[in-house]
Amino acid sequence: MSTETKSNTNKPSRLEQSNPDYDPNIVIETQNLTKVYRDFWGRQKVRALKALDLEIRKGEIFGLLGPNGSGKSTTIKLLLGLLFPTSGRALVFGKEASDVTKNEQIGYLPEESYLYKYLNAEETLDFYGRLFNMPAKVRKERIGQLIEQVGLTKAKHRQLREYSKGMTRRIGLAQALINDPDLILLDEPTSGLDPIGTREMKDMIIQLRSQGKTVVICSHLLADVQDVCDRIAILYQGELKEVGRVDALLEVGEETEIRAKNLPESAQEEIRQVIAKHGGDLVSVDNPRTSLEELFLNIVRESEQRPGHRSSSAQKESSKE
Amino acid sequence: MVVESFPNFVEWINSAILLFLGIGVAATVLGIFFGYVVASFRHGAFEAFYIVAQVISQAIPDLLGTAPRRVWAIARLAIKEAMRRRVILVTFGIFALALLFGGWFMNAGSDHPDRIYVNFVLWGTQLLVLLMGLLLSAFSLPEDIKNKTIYTVVTKPVRSTEIVLGRILGFGLLGTALLALMGLISFMFVWRGLSHEHQVVGDTQTVASLYEIDPDTMLDQYGKRVSPGCIMAGETSFDSGHRHRIEVIKDIRDENSKQPQDPRNILKTTKRSDGKIVYERVVVVPYGGHSHPVTVNGEGNDATLTIGPAGGYFRARVPVYSDFLQFHDRQGRESSGIDVGREWRYRSYVDGGNRLTQNSLSRAMFDFEDFNVSRFGDRDTLPLEMTLSVFRTYKGDIEKRVIGSLQFESLVDDDSVEDRFIAEPIVFETDEYNLQVLPIPRIQSGRKVSPDGTVLEEGKFDLFKDFAANGKIRLILRCEDFNQYIGVARADLYFRATDDLFWWNFVKGYVGIWCMMIIIIAMGVALSTFLSSPVVMLSTLVIIVVGFFTTEIRKLARDLFAGEESGGGPIESLFRILTQKNMEVHLETGVGTTLMEQIDKGLVFMLEKLTYLAPDFGKLNFSDFLTYGYSVDQNRMFVALAITFGFCLGLSILGYFCLKTREIAK
Repeated sequence: MSTETKSNTNKPSRLEQSNPDYDPNIVIETQNLTKVYRDFWGRQKVRALKALDLEIRKGEIFGLLGPNGSGKSTTIKLLLGLLFPTSGRALVFGKEASDVTKNEQIGYLPEESYLYKYLNAEETLDFYGRLFNMPAKVRKERIGQLIEQVGLTKAKHRQLREYSKGMTRRIGLAQALINDPDLILLDEPTSGLDPIGTREMKDMIIQLRSQGKTVVICSHLLADVQDVCDRIAILYQGELKEVGRVDALLEVGEETEIRAKNLPESAQEEIRQVIAKHGGDLVSVDNPRTSLEELFLNIVRESEQRPGHRSSSAQKESSKE
Repeated sequence: MVVESFPNFVEWINSAILLFLGIGVAATVLGIFFGYVVASFRHGAFEAFYIVAQVISQAIPDLLGTAPRRVWAIARLAIKEAMRRRVILVTFGIFALALLFGGWFMNAGSDHPDRIYVNFVLWGTQLLVLLMGLLLSAFSLPEDIKNKTIYTVVTKPVRSTEIVLGRILGFGLLGTALLALMGLISFMFVWRGLSHEHQVVGDTQTVASLYEIDPDTMLDQYGKRVSPGCIMAGETSFDSGHRHRIEVIKDIRDENSKQPQDPRNILKTTKRSDGKIVYERVVVVPYGGHSHPVTVNGEGNDATLTIGPAGGYFRARVPVYSDFLQFHDRQGRESSGIDVGREWRYRSYVDGGNRLTQNSLSRAMFDFEDFNVSRFGDRDTLPLEMTLSVFRTYKGDIEKRVIGSLQFESLVDDDSVEDRFIAEPIVFETDEYNLQVLPIPRIQSGRKVSPDGTVLEEGKFDLFKDFAANGKIRLILRCEDFNQYIGVARADLYFRATDDLFWWNFVKGYVGIWCMMIIIIAMGVALSTFLSSPVVMLSTLVIIVVGFFTTEIRKLARDLFAGEESGGGPIESLFRILTQKNMEVHLETGVGTTLMEQIDKGLVFMLEKLTYLAPDFGKLNFSDFLTYGYSVDQNRMFVALAITFGFCLGLSILGYFCLKTREIAK
């Protein structure tokens, strides 16, 4: 298929040509992106997203993290043009989010696979393939390939209403990949999957990166994000709390981790001096890593006490780069 | 049948395009204005300007980027979805049930069973198909948005136009298939429901079962007058709610003239001494718009009579209406006809003068501008059909019919140089409110006059070759009874050209229903881009009602502004209901009344303008033509198709902008 999409990718669009600021390495850019939900009378109900500035680069796996209602899905929907920003801009491939032509290069797996239940897997993929204006031959080829890739070969003639949650996720992923997109937006990709399914999904995501694709994952399942993401952003109550490389964020600078072997239990205090004194084998001295869960909970706790952008994160980000 | 408009497609389309463009410009201006107001309310005045400009600038590339494959993909999905929701099945089920049991309630013995049957299937089909179109279109998009399945569609490079057009196409195709099926079944239903046969009443199916008619009284066994020339009569069996009289008629013809059309019903042929041939033919007297052919086998009293299947129900008469109808009043001045008081304005009246003035110059002049032999076939007589109304100023002998006359006249291009032909008047009895058929001989006796009025020649002249040598002819209708009036409208008098094929006319009737269905589907889809299903249903229903009553609403507005509407507009009517004042009571003049009248005028003015946004279903509804057996003429078809196209185009554009500016995920 992807002759069509590929050529689109290689050839800068008119908008890109006319936009001197456009950097082809930046796939997604949000500037001061804000979304306020209002009621019928225009009164403010919720401030779902507050002045988000974000840049996602080509070829990375980017994780959007946050508890429920933190604005992750809102961000994705704003990027896709499903919602309109109250203020600020969202640019995808340098194009406005409201421009439908940007969708040529995007694959989107929604939170729950919102698919037509009365179609079977093949019909579903055929339908979405047609929406990309793919010729019949290319469509057929691509459908066969994707159904095999997501492991639904046996179930391809069954209606989606008969599918289990995991199978629905798989067909959802297949439809997101039908156009061989350059940017893939995955909203909670592993929700509802069993451990094996989760593993396979993660492998697939990593495989996509190896093909040079940009992946944005939106999730609250921290372990998944920790495993696959290159960079993450943590949102809380519509505000960006943290953004940076996963390894940098998880590093705890002021602490030291000691890995020791054959160490008696009684010698836990004053351990540095006592290791030599007691003749133990020092294996390594290193900085310890917290788990993402720990970091996440810390941020949430801190944010509740002191609303606003965390100062430490920005410093960390800049020092790292 | 009431026909109030005689559209000419070429003339109509010019004004229609102007109206369409006018509405388009108004809608664009209003749309931009409202869009700007809403956007500036949400994003501030400056940002709003940018947003409006962006929406407009994206519209053209979106329109150009519309791909047939995507439209077709959405259409296929719409078809699958509709099949799944079983609306089609239910619609068809109700239709089948109605036809299964509907036959029980049809009175086949009525005056016009064909009208009852055709009317029943047409209205039934129309109601069901329109309702189906409404249900399909109103629920589709809102359901998609509610289920969020639309997320996976709009995040593909799908233009809003494609979502709207695809749905209209999908539902339209499905509706078309259903309508075609219903049409076919309806046709069979009508055909089978009306087909019947009779037997001859009597011991044998022979001429012996008939009795002789007394030539002095010319009455049958029930005391009813028989046809002229009838020598024997009998009756058929009672089937399908009626029976016919069988007559043996003496038909005397010259040796050289044509033989009777149907040789199978000739009982006896004798040659008289004066050279004329007498045919004795057995005929079945028409009843309820149909008759049966008779086949005679054998001779004399033993000849068997076989009565064939019913014929004559399925007609598609092609009326040749006058192109121009003009009235003259008693003094011979041009007028809009004589006003006989608060009567239905559809017809205008000509009066027959009175004893003082003797004859009146009042007359109705029907000008035919395309009166050619090719339209009628080479016949000796032209069938002229009339439905006249009579206004009597005295009853007199109520059984005595009012007398009218018809006179042909050449309609020359320049009456100062060209000679004219004037025929002798043809006097006839009016058959009030009933369709009467007058066979007009093609050869008329009359005179040729020069421009100054001198008679050049008297004799017999041909209607086509002499009178209408330039293709134009004038027919003058007068009332010949003192103090009586004959009322006529343009559609009341016409020549009947060669009939159209009935099944083809039936198809044309269904094209009308198809047009309505497509408009409703387009409307449902377009409105569902920004309204919820129940609201779409309700608003589309309102538009349908306005569409069906367009003519009435416009008339109300016209009358109200002319001060002719008794009872006033909506507010005044409400006031009258609440204060129990009837329509004729004058309200006290004062500030309140004036205010009420002005508000009414404002409301009715707006309502009248709204009728231009709603489809005028009167122009798409061909039921009456089919019911009364008239051919739907091409101009009407083209007008209907153009209206449908215009609405689809306008509504698709509306749907595009509404969907484009809608936050799908909200």
